[in-house]
Amino acid sequence: MFRTARWIIVVCCAFISATLPRAHGATAESEVDFIRDVKPILAKRCFACHGPNDSEAGLQLHNAEIATGELDSGEIAVVPGDPDASALLYRVTETDEDLRMPPEGDPLTEREVGVLQAWIEQGAEWKDHWAFQPREPVEPPEVQDAGWVKNPIDAFVLARLEQAGLSPAPPAGKRTLIRRLYFDLIGLPPTPEEVEAFVADNSPQAYERLVDRLLASERYGERWARHWLDVVRFAETNSYERDGPKPNAWKYRDYVIRSFNSDKPYDQFLREQLAGDELDEVTRETIIATGFYRLGRWDDEPADRLLAKYDEFDDIVTVVGQGMLGLTVNCARCHDHKIDPIPQADYYRLLAFFRDLGGHGDGSRFTDKHSQVDISPPEIRALYAGHEARVDNVKARMREIEQTGIARMPAEDQRASEGLDRPRVLSERLPEFLNEEETAKYEALKAERDSLKQARKKLPPREMALGVTHCFVEPPRTHILLRGMPRSEGDAVIPGYPAIFKQSDPVIPPPAEDATTARRRQVLADWITSDSNMLTPRVAVNRVWQHHFGRGIVRSANNFGELGTPPTHPLLLDCLANDFVAGGWKLKRLHRLMVTSNTYRMSSAARDEALAVDPNNDLFWRFNPRRLSAEEIRDAILAVNGRLNLKMYGPGFYPQISEEVLAAQSMPGKGWGGSSPHEQARRSVYIHVKRSLITPLLEAFDFPETDSSCEARFNTTQPQQAFALLHGDFINAQAAAFADRLAREAEGKEAQVTRALELAMSRPPDHDYVQRSLALMDRLQSEHGLSEEAALRLICLSVYNLNEFIFLD
Amino acid sequence: MKRPTDKHGAAFCRRTRREFLWDAGGKFTGLALTGLLAHDGFLATQQAAADGITPWRNPLAAKPPHFAPKAKNVIFLFMYGGPSHVDTFDHKPTLAKYDGQTVKVKTKGRGGERDEGRIVGPKWNFAQYGECGAWVSDLFPHLATCVDDIAFLKSMTADSPIHGSAMLMMNSGRILSGAPALGSWVNYGLGSVNENLPGFVVMLDPVGGPISGAKNWSSGFMPATYQGTVLRTQGAPILDMDLPGGVTRPMERDVLDALKDMNEAHQTTRLANSELAARIASYELSYKMQRSAPEAVDLSDESAETLELYGVNQEKTRDFGTRCLLARRLVERGVRFVQLYSGGAHNDDNWDAHGDLEKNHNHHAGATDQPIAALLKDLKRRGMLNETIVIWGGEFGRQPTAEYAQGTGRDHNSYGFTMWVAGGGIKGGISLGTTDELGSAAVERPMHVKHLHATILQQLGLDPNQLSYFFGGLDQKLVGVEHVEPIHEII
Repeated sequence: MFRTARWIIVVCCAFISATLPRAHGATAESEVDFIRDVKPILAKRCFACHGPNDSEAGLQLHNAEIATGELDSGEIAVVPGDPDASALLYRVTETDEDLRMPPEGDPLTEREVGVLQAWIEQGAEWKDHWAFQPREPVEPPEVQDAGWVKNPIDAFVLARLEQAGLSPAPPAGKRTLIRRLYFDLIGLPPTPEEVEAFVADNSPQAYERLVDRLLASERYGERWARHWLDVVRFAETNSYERDGPKPNAWKYRDYVIRSFNSDKPYDQFLREQLAGDELDEVTRETIIATGFYRLGRWDDEPADRLLAKYDEFDDIVTVVGQGMLGLTVNCARCHDHKIDPIPQADYYRLLAFFRDLGGHGDGSRFTDKHSQVDISPPEIRALYAGHEARVDNVKARMREIEQTGIARMPAEDQRASEGLDRPRVLSERLPEFLNEEETAKYEALKAERDSLKQARKKLPPREMALGVTHCFVEPPRTHILLRGMPRSEGDAVIPGYPAIFKQSDPVIPPPAEDATTARRRQVLADWITSDSNMLTPRVAVNRVWQHHFGRGIVRSANNFGELGTPPTHPLLLDCLANDFVAGGWKLKRLHRLMVTSNTYRMSSAARDEALAVDPNNDLFWRFNPRRLSAEEIRDAILAVNGRLNLKMYGPGFYPQISEEVLAAQSMPGKGWGGSSPHEQARRSVYIHVKRSLITPLLEAFDFPETDSSCEARFNTTQPQQAFALLHGDFINAQAAAFADRLAREAEGKEAQVTRALELAMSRPPDHDYVQRSLALMDRLQSEHGLSEEAALRLICLSVYNLNEFIFLD
Repeated sequence: MKRPTDKHGAAFCRRTRREFLWDAGGKFTGLALTGLLAHDGFLATQQAAADGITPWRNPLAAKPPHFAPKAKNVIFLFMYGGPSHVDTFDHKPTLAKYDGQTVKVKTKGRGGERDEGRIVGPKWNFAQYGECGAWVSDLFPHLATCVDDIAFLKSMTADSPIHGSAMLMMNSGRILSGAPALGSWVNYGLGSVNENLPGFVVMLDPVGGPISGAKNWSSGFMPATYQGTVLRTQGAPILDMDLPGGVTRPMERDVLDALKDMNEAHQTTRLANSELAARIASYELSYKMQRSAPEAVDLSDESAETLELYGVNQEKTRDFGTRCLLARRLVERGVRFVQLYSGGAHNDDNWDAHGDLEKNHNHHAGATDQPIAALLKDLKRRGMLNETIVIWGGEFGRQPTAEYAQGTGRDHNSYGFTMWVAGGGIKGGISLGTTDELGSAAVERPMHVKHLHATILQQLGLDPNQLSYFFGGLDQKLVGVEHVEPIHEII
């Protein structure tokens, strides 16, 4: 697929002019780009009256046909090639204030007028936003230094560099490379032994073999699952007052890890999450995948139930829109999207696909009716269903009697009966408020309940998953909500794709006799994952690129719309997307392509002349150095001291959180369990994620906010990080364990210090580092009176705080 | 078409804000632009700062406001649980008249929606105070002497009568979790003038945190740099600030010096990566904070008279008095936003008087009345009140009717309640808005939480309708998408 074609170069150049840093300035004389230069002016100054939402005087400037046609007044707003004849231009430059456009606010600046004029002079071309155009076949461009091109990625990158008069950075050294690759693919540092083996391996395939080995490691899934968990705002509790646990949320996390490890095709991965309960072959795994719909926050005690229901749908539309399609459809909840061509109807048409879903708790606070799915074999499910019906019946009859008694109690008891104290009220107070007959009935029911409880213990164990169940086969009609208000219903809509895709409405098959869902989500899933979907593969490959290279080709990974950032390498993006689809949506293949490129293997060292031309590294003239993520830091701390517990899967664990942090909860310690030290040494991806109690060490290093999709983590530098890594209980315990390891593995201070540095930095430390550390150790012993053991612990602590430990070249 | 609005970040004419930033590349010069970079968390999130020229800036470094501010700091006295307005500042003689009678009145609280209920008359006497003649109940004898400095907002409304979402609304303007707190917005907009202390400090009641815990001072979708820092009056003031056992300050200095040497050696071949320098600088900052934070919370240099004023010497008022005094000390040292919680945990550990109203409010008002009055007076005599906004209120008020068949407990009420604001250019001796004759709902000049938020931002020199943060495809604002006017009558 990577033939050379001349026309590509031409297209490529056009894109370059659209995306090069504008340090050189886009003056009115140079080529004007409609999307980049013109549309923002029209959108900001004109669309309010002459745009998608309004057409005063019959003029709509977003629409080429109308804007170049004759208006009611006989004028023509835009005459391509003839600025003087264009009403748009003379109306905005009119000196009579009463006639000048826009009627409100300052007149257009000279610069803005200049842009409009140049655009009209150049033929007034209206263009669709780049992301809203279908992908075309793309071939890699020709380059001068063909020898540098290891694979097509390099051709795209190099062509741009050559154009800018830049050369790519030299290859990174082997030690740098292996450390980069380890963290990138598996999120852990290589051991010194692994580094040396790689350095010593002179075979031409040494690097490729390393890549394959890491991609085959189960650690890979643990690292890359977390990237997806950021996008789907994974957390295991509901937020709000109770912030209670959502049982079995961890199974979704495990599902994601397994999916990455097994190299599940990305299209299948999305289909399972969107419609795992509707697929031709529904399995335990695909049901767990539907936990996707249950990951968001949900208010179990909403002030306005109807609004809360739409807020839950909004959460889903937002994550599907941004996470899978790179579209901020969510901006059209209350009105048409202000910038992107996404009318409000599109939002509700997309929402309609999900209308068969019940809410997390469906109104009553603690029910799991719609969220906990029995994934046991059918015969076991039947046993439990029968049993639960009997229990429900008994409980309902008991409650009736209880409420009768409670109504007769004093206010304080009534109040108490509504909360956690209810059992106490029932046992201590209820008897005196029931008459004899009621008491007898109540006691009998209690006995029946108890015997049912016993009977339940004898049932065979069953397995539950967080997911969707009890869907509406015939969902309620979906309406456009005027200004997003749930009680202001506008026109009814049917499920449909956003208008920018220019596709006809889907046909939803009528429900079969035995249908348990509306089958709309499956239709949506098939469309989102169809090979021809213009956005899904672009968004996917961009995310993979983002994590390998430090930033996306489109930096706003959740927003490919007009408010997002334009791609720095649009043709490369499309080339990768096409190749991704052609290769069966396989992620490991994509990783391999990226990390074996010369672009990936460049040094991260900066050069003055390149910094001067492209300080942001828009053109990828070097590799982007980066700080480790929160999880990488914590995992690496455990890896280098040898305590990392590689146990995979299962319920999350609870790192010890200090009492002062727990004290900020309304019920200190609630919802936070205890885990054994061994369990606490597991990888960070297995930490229980409680929305209101994020593990402080992770939070300090920019763990993402759990309530909305995270496209790219922040990368802050703040004193709390220093406190956590110098004074925290965790780091001091790990430093002590590190010192123990050194004492076991090396003899004498110098060997111990050398080993510590080597483990932390993945390279033999230079003499200078060792001497500085030894000098510190001596000072700690001689001037501060520490024992050798205590001094070594502080050395370990300082090693954990080295920039070289926290940053990657 | 109002898209780009942020005064700093907005009208880049032809490009999105972010695009502009990347375009601008290494040539960051003007102050406004540098402020903007810090605003967007841009330096922090992008490699772009790796130009080797742009100095690292603490994202909390002071930033210019949109216009000349009236106030510099905020102290938010959060009466968690929801104080009863009709028993504190909203005088309702009619309510006393109907005490015990069942009347038709629409209410909505945690117990659901009701159309009638048994009236509970106010449990405290009211009197008028000050030149303005403001009504204050016997719950607040000390505060009653400060009314001429206070603007009472008696027709507040909120979107939820349920603690979880109502707390989020009062703190972040939304009933959905995940949005930045008011204190985060203020620090995002203005930065801090004291880098050695956090810019947004939260002090909790010793009985526990509020419902939803840290969500109440979260920076939401903004970087964690802007989130509230819990400051403790016992033990280490800030998490992990204390040295671990066996380590002394000179010892740590030696460790930090060695670390600095090695980190600088590492940096010499990586000068273009400003994050490395930032991290080295942050260690020095943290070392300085270990001096400045304990100094800020050390009351030993306060006069006996001052301690007496705040009630630090009395059992009843010791805790809240101490925290009010600390609030003044923090503001003195440049902390931009301080939030104090009166009440924590659940039920009667806070103002959530569902059972015995008298017992509950006597307790909480008793613990806070003198300290709050002291704070206002102390700020005033030190010339600080004119630049410090003090906010008082809970997440909602309470209903005029009883929640249960017996007793005086009142359920939540977000249809109408009272908050008050003083200082920072707020006009004193004013009472704005009214509720109906029972105090069940705002009738005259209803005000929403977002109007209060807009007023705070306005006084701090930030245009509430301009201060925005681009996230999720939208210019997010504390006050929401629609234009919101501050409460002009009180400023």
